[in-house]
Amino acid sequence: MEWQLWIIETLRRALAYGTPLLLGTLGEIYTERSGILNLGVEGMMILGAFTGFVTTFVTGNPWIGFLMGALVGGAASLIHAFLSINLRVIQVVSGLALTLFGLGLTGVLGRGWEGQPLKVSLEMFSVPYLKEIPILGPIVFTEQNVLVYIGIGFALLLWIVLFKTSWGITIRSVGEDPATADALGINIPLVRYLCTFIGGVLAGIGGAYLSIIYRPSWTQGMTSGMGWIVIALTIFSLWHPLMAIVGSYIFGSLFYLSFRLQPWVAPELLTIMPYLFTILAPMFLNVHRTLRRRMGAPAALGIPYSREEE
Amino acid sequence: MRKVVLLILCLVFVFTGAIGLLAQDKLKAGFIYVGPIGDMGWTHAHDQARKICENTFPWLETVYQESVPEGKVEGVIDRMIRRERCDVVFTTSFGFWEGTIAAAKKYPDKVFAHCSGFMRTPNCATYMADFYQVYYLNGLMAGALTKSNKVGYVGAFPIPEVKRHIDAFTLGVLEVNPRAEVHVRWIEAWFDPAKAKEATNSLIDAGCDVFAFTEDSDTVVQVAAENRLPSFGHYSPMYNSAPDYIVSGQLVHWELFYLDFLAKVYAGYYTSKNLENVDYWGLLKEGAAELGPKFGMPINPKWKSRLGKTNDLVLERLKQMQNPQMIFDPFTGPIYDRNGKMVVGRGERADYGHLLSIEYAVKGVVGAWPGEPK
Amino acid sequence: MLRLKIEKRLTPTWKVVFSVTVLSIFLAFFVIGFIFLGYGINPVKAYIEILIETVGNFYGITQILWQSIPLLLCGVGLLLAFKASFWNIGAEGQLLMGSLGATWAALFSGLPDFLLIPMIFILGFAGGAIWGLVSTVLKAKFKVNEVITTLMMNYIAMNIILYLIHGPWKGEEMKGFAYTNSFPQPAWLPTLGMSYIHWPTLIMGLVAVAVIYLIISRTKLGYEVKVIGQSQKAAKYAGISYFQTIFWVMLISGGCAGLAGAGEVAGVHHMLRHPDQISLGYGYTGIIVAWLARGNPIVTILTSLLFGAIYVAGDVMQLSFGLPFQIVNVFTGMILFFLISSDHLMRYKISFRREE
Repeated sequence: MEWQLWIIETLRRALAYGTPLLLGTLGEIYTERSGILNLGVEGMMILGAFTGFVTTFVTGNPWIGFLMGALVGGAASLIHAFLSINLRVIQVVSGLALTLFGLGLTGVLGRGWEGQPLKVSLEMFSVPYLKEIPILGPIVFTEQNVLVYIGIGFALLLWIVLFKTSWGITIRSVGEDPATADALGINIPLVRYLCTFIGGVLAGIGGAYLSIIYRPSWTQGMTSGMGWIVIALTIFSLWHPLMAIVGSYIFGSLFYLSFRLQPWVAPELLTIMPYLFTILAPMFLNVHRTLRRRMGAPAALGIPYSREEE
Repeated sequence: MRKVVLLILCLVFVFTGAIGLLAQDKLKAGFIYVGPIGDMGWTHAHDQARKICENTFPWLETVYQESVPEGKVEGVIDRMIRRERCDVVFTTSFGFWEGTIAAAKKYPDKVFAHCSGFMRTPNCATYMADFYQVYYLNGLMAGALTKSNKVGYVGAFPIPEVKRHIDAFTLGVLEVNPRAEVHVRWIEAWFDPAKAKEATNSLIDAGCDVFAFTEDSDTVVQVAAENRLPSFGHYSPMYNSAPDYIVSGQLVHWELFYLDFLAKVYAGYYTSKNLENVDYWGLLKEGAAELGPKFGMPINPKWKSRLGKTNDLVLERLKQMQNPQMIFDPFTGPIYDRNGKMVVGRGERADYGHLLSIEYAVKGVVGAWPGEPK
Repeated sequence: MLRLKIEKRLTPTWKVVFSVTVLSIFLAFFVIGFIFLGYGINPVKAYIEILIETVGNFYGITQILWQSIPLLLCGVGLLLAFKASFWNIGAEGQLLMGSLGATWAALFSGLPDFLLIPMIFILGFAGGAIWGLVSTVLKAKFKVNEVITTLMMNYIAMNIILYLIHGPWKGEEMKGFAYTNSFPQPAWLPTLGMSYIHWPTLIMGLVAVAVIYLIISRTKLGYEVKVIGQSQKAAKYAGISYFQTIFWVMLISGGCAGLAGAGEVAGVHHMLRHPDQISLGYGYTGIIVAWLARGNPIVTILTSLLFGAIYVAGDVMQLSFGLPFQIVNVFTGMILFFLISSDHLMRYKISFRREE
């Protein structure tokens, strides 16, 4: 029974900590699937966190906070989209610039907001009946916040769109072979703009989650590198929304366990566990043949498309 | 005869120094911070003190730079002295010692003070305000409040300063509740809310029901409150983060040091020649540390009834430690480390050197303890 | 009626590149001016102060040079990796492992004094190179994406150093604080005059630029790197071994970052301390330094100096005007946005033509 309790406690925390990672990863999957590499996740997340916090603080309504966080995250991603799609700049630098800019701007504007706890937040709640299910009940349906379900819902929705609908085929073809897609009459800039925007919106929500629910306060730099973990998880999940769930929650579990296991294992060893896992797991996955075929990034990732030159 | 000459020389130095400074009329002090001033911990507290100084002394002007990397401190001092014409420079982190000492040698006529360091020169003093006594008082209350006999502690780095605090806290917990344990988790960061949050959660899952911590945010207080559990604030007034669940905490008054030091520099009592032995060590009796979740409130009244007679014990101990004679100190023997070795003998009181270099975990501490003596 | 006419330029002239770069910085200054105004600071006065304190006096110039040393080494190494389309995001970790190797050499190797500094650089290079090669092997043998491995290896390197300074390498001189002991005096890199510039590392940086320039332009390896960078498939048909080429690329790229780490610990810190204090994100800024050089190793000298200047300007903005330290990032982000967007414009010649 002891081990059951451990699994329940670990996964419960994995859901809470992994949700912003999941949201960010889902967004980045869409962005990259359409062929845009956006390294600005950290910047978009922190912008979302800051606006989410300030809006909630002022209006007293967390939902407006999430909405504004999403919009500002999306708006930030449009800078990257404009630079990458219209000006065809080096996407790596543009993304890094967005990260720096987001961290910097929120740090400068957020000065006066630090050290003020948020009075309103989204309450944790349990789902009646469902919480009675053994194991799954206490993990997923007891004392969780609604964003956890929204995250999982997004993953399912985005998976269906990407793999079961013609929109998904459109997105994937733009990322794999834009020349052919173009010949088929697909509006490549539009698709890429939309996908980058989705990426920004989800990163913004992920950031707002941190400042509204996870830790209802604002501090500059509070995303503390989560955006970079998102970049790694995107690749780890092989650009697949359902794998993103697995990746984010395993990462979350290991993060939690790195504290839980401290009485038995050296803390320094434990802290590298999630990172080591992210490196090693793809190695083992690689043994599997069907997975190996999918290992590659979208073929046109990071390459600007232009009709005249191709 | 030689002594008289020396004395006269000293007086001349002091006076010329004083006249030199008075002639300027203004004194300019530079503050170098290790973190951002917006956090709720160490740097924020120093910056509050800087503002108080500036408002108190009309002759004082200050500049500061935040988030200075340890390796760049010497360059920042250069700029403070050359460009900003600072007369006094405060470096507020242990990690700045190398740069501070090098700069003190480079600018022998300027005054320096280095926080939490141990190296001094004729123009560089050291100062520190410490909380271990307040942690002990928090421990007394935590010991009274725990029902599971498990108290949780989220620690930043396993260094003597934090170890001293955890040990003092544990001494308090065990004094009231000999069956209790203090469970420790390290997050290897001074500021990292996500780590602090999951560390707190892991402690809750391990059965802890009262919390104290060393981390520069109010995360632990918030998480404990979410789970309707009591906690103790750290460094800044964190009462507003959880008015119903914060019991007490530690608060600092850096301004006591800064006001005293700057006034003495201005008066010419401290010069760039006589700081070799100037070391401030501020505890409860100096007023450098204060007990409470916010200034002027030693114990949250909402918790007084649950604390019962521990209330009086805490207030009595507080009074004893505030006494100029410091009638009581938590590190009074016999104290045993958790391997059973006696570290402070019966009736002895741990001295300054002992406190600064604590590596052991006292009896009652549970969890990893990097660098524990065998 | 005036009409805008846009013509394509094949290669932008250096004059254009230079003036556009200056214009970008100017634009960034202009936008930042509003933040200054928001803080009640006169922007013009602020800019004059910044100019004087960065390039306007000798001290500022030495500071810029000093701060550009690690950026130059990281940047030029990364440039080589990027030329081969190997997305090394791990210069940060490679730098840290270099500093670890160097620290071992300085504190624990027991070598005679005159061998210490050479050994610091050799082991610094080795530390960075080994860290870089792990990702190479994982990529070539197990097909694990290098963005993941290099990025995650940064965190692992950080934690290894944390472990060492809290555990086996904790210095007994440090009163229990998590630092190694100070390096013995012979292991300190000499500095140039009164400045902080540890010139041996600066020379290493310039040598690295020269070597990488020669590799790219004159050697078979350089040719192979370019082919792989263009298309891995083409490289395969041309009989180029991907693993072998990337092996050498990452040996050099990681090694350069390692040298930067060795220079930082032996030239600035003289001890190993918290990883966040050793590398101030040099590995990440190095990515930008490399990209802005547009594939030309020699240009990394200029781009690293640009970032050195931005760092110094950031110090001035904080100290003299009391702005939050994050202002540096706003400033950097802004300059980058303008710089890369102008990149596009540079390839076009814009003129106005009167039309009936």
